[in-house]
Amino acid sequence: MSKKNPPVIELRGLTKRYGIGDAEHNALDEIDLTIEKGEFITIMGPSGCGKTTLLNILGLLDRSDDGEYLLDGKSVETLSNARHARIRSQQIGIVFQSFNLINRLNVIENVALPLTYKGIFRTKRLMMASEILKSFHLSEREYYMPWQLSGGQMQRVAIARALVNNPSIILADEPTGNLDSKSSHIVMEELSDLHKRGNTIVMVTHNPNLTTYASRVIHMLDGKIASDTKTPIIEANPIVKIPLNADKSSSKKHSKSRKKKQAKK
Amino acid sequence: MTTPLLFEHIQNAYHSLRSTKLRTLLTILGVAIGVGSITTILALSGGVTKLVTSQVDNLGGNIAVIRPGVVSKNLNDLANPATAGMFTTSTLSEDDLSDIEDIDGVEAAAPLMVLNGSIKATMSGTKPANSTIVATTPALEQIAHLPVRDGQFIDSVTNQNTAVVGSQLSVDLFGTNQSIGQTFTFRGQVFTVIGVLKHMNNPINYNNVDFDHTAIISLESGKGFNQGIAQIQQINVSAVSVSKLPKVIRASQKQLLANHQQEMDFTILSGKEIAEPTSKFFLAVTLVMTVIAAISLVVGGIGIMNIMLVGVAERTREIGLRKAVGASNGNIIWQFLTEALIMSFLGGVIGYLGGYAAAFLISTALPFSPIITWQIAAVALGIAVIVGGIFGLYPAIRAAQKDPIESLRQYH
Repeated sequence: MSKKNPPVIELRGLTKRYGIGDAEHNALDEIDLTIEKGEFITIMGPSGCGKTTLLNILGLLDRSDDGEYLLDGKSVETLSNARHARIRSQQIGIVFQSFNLINRLNVIENVALPLTYKGIFRTKRLMMASEILKSFHLSEREYYMPWQLSGGQMQRVAIARALVNNPSIILADEPTGNLDSKSSHIVMEELSDLHKRGNTIVMVTHNPNLTTYASRVIHMLDGKIASDTKTPIIEANPIVKIPLNADKSSSKKHSKSRKKKQAKK
Repeated sequence: MTTPLLFEHIQNAYHSLRSTKLRTLLTILGVAIGVGSITTILALSGGVTKLVTSQVDNLGGNIAVIRPGVVSKNLNDLANPATAGMFTTSTLSEDDLSDIEDIDGVEAAAPLMVLNGSIKATMSGTKPANSTIVATTPALEQIAHLPVRDGQFIDSVTNQNTAVVGSQLSVDLFGTNQSIGQTFTFRGQVFTVIGVLKHMNNPINYNNVDFDHTAIISLESGKGFNQGIAQIQQINVSAVSVSKLPKVIRASQKQLLANHQQEMDFTILSGKEIAEPTSKFFLAVTLVMTVIAAISLVVGGIGIMNIMLVGVAERTREIGLRKAVGASNGNIIWQFLTEALIMSFLGGVIGYLGGYAAAFLISTALPFSPIITWQIAAVALGIAVIVGGIFGLYPAIRAAQKDPIESLRQYH
């Protein structure tokens, strides 16, 4: 842990309560958590354990009732809604289970959407979006409408959108929850690749298989962190080697780049 | 901090309005009807005012008009017009007239005494509807610039039982406008036509008399129908020069107050005041139409609010997503407000054009044409945008206040 760079996220005694009186319960119960740059964290746990609440608070979509939340070393708990919106636009990328692409807009406009609220002009926005889409091998889909894409492609577009404003952290809430296993693997490949490029990712999932991609696995139970394990990345993930007919070229490229990186190491 | 993002909002609004073409069109139509009726009213009432103004201007600006009673623009008086105007007994008397004629600086003064009754051609017995008879003095010819086409105007020598008729009345009575020497009967008395006026075609003027449909008789004859008392609805006063007019008005007022026991039971109008809608009926019609137009504007505004609320409900997820990727509440408010404003602005443009189309269509049946000024365009578009702003604000605020988590959870 280097002291020069503050952790991307630091939570101290974070508490979120729901309900009133007898019905009151802590969705998050004094959570302490530090996330360093470059980590790929998977949060697991049964329904109702507070993992989505945690993610919403991390994404500044919700506020905690107690405790402290430092994002990039700065406390964000007490800031105004407008400041939160600004932080969301500049430091946070969110990937949803249900993709949440705007149907009226085509792929490239969907990807460019977060840049709008950064005040970047349209031409520049589209150029930046195009750049990102290229790295996701979706260049030829730029002018497709969302409904013309497969689920896996939609989620990759959504990931591209989360990434386009170059956020400090990417939050993913069950990104593969609505996908079949094949598309899930493509999407996970994509996230894994982002992680390797140095992005910090926090992913909530139900699927234990997906923890193999993560560098750290957190289990939650009843609003508390039950276990926190750092895992070495399993480079020779057997799942990766399954041939993917949906998107052969990209997966090949991925495995190639992975091999190169391994060689360097 | 909120960046305006105006261009983005307009583009966004264009896309979303295009995706719901029919209901956008209907909403725009709602606003257009309200704005259209306002435009029509303004254009036509402006036309009337302009018509009378130009008449007053043509008179040379040295004219003052004295009317009995105090002119009130009170709504209550409009609701009960029968007690006002020409049916009441006038406070102006023949003495007032002669006193005013004696004031220094007065060139001439002419009374107007409008009489009830029907005119009947003695020979054929034709009784044209819509004709009036006015008793006055020879001075009216000069003050009101009445052009005589044939014969002569009434004068002090030929005042008994002679009349000057308007060209249209001449045709209606005798079938020709060459009617000198013909006779007509009015309330049992026979009048001989000694002059015919030129066709003027300005039924709306500050005298409230359509001279095309009028027979002019001497004040003496007129008094004969009213137990020898003059019943003066208006006195037209002309000063020797424009610069003398204020002095004349002050002197007249003083004189009349003295005559009327210091009772201010008359009104002296000059310049633009004369041009203000002289007909209370016209004023009432304008007022009623304005109220109706205002109601239709409100209805149009409600239409905008309705459609915007539907749009906000439909796009809840989009709102949640936009917030999640960094839109502030201000951004969301402006996004939806821009949509409402674009709809109302388009409604304003269409209403303005449609309103003028209607105004010109209506004016084919009226003796005046609508006026086109930038003020009317500004009012029409301004009202439209204000309506859009007022009725679009609530849906926009509602959109901005949506909780992003709740919004993103919603499926449709």
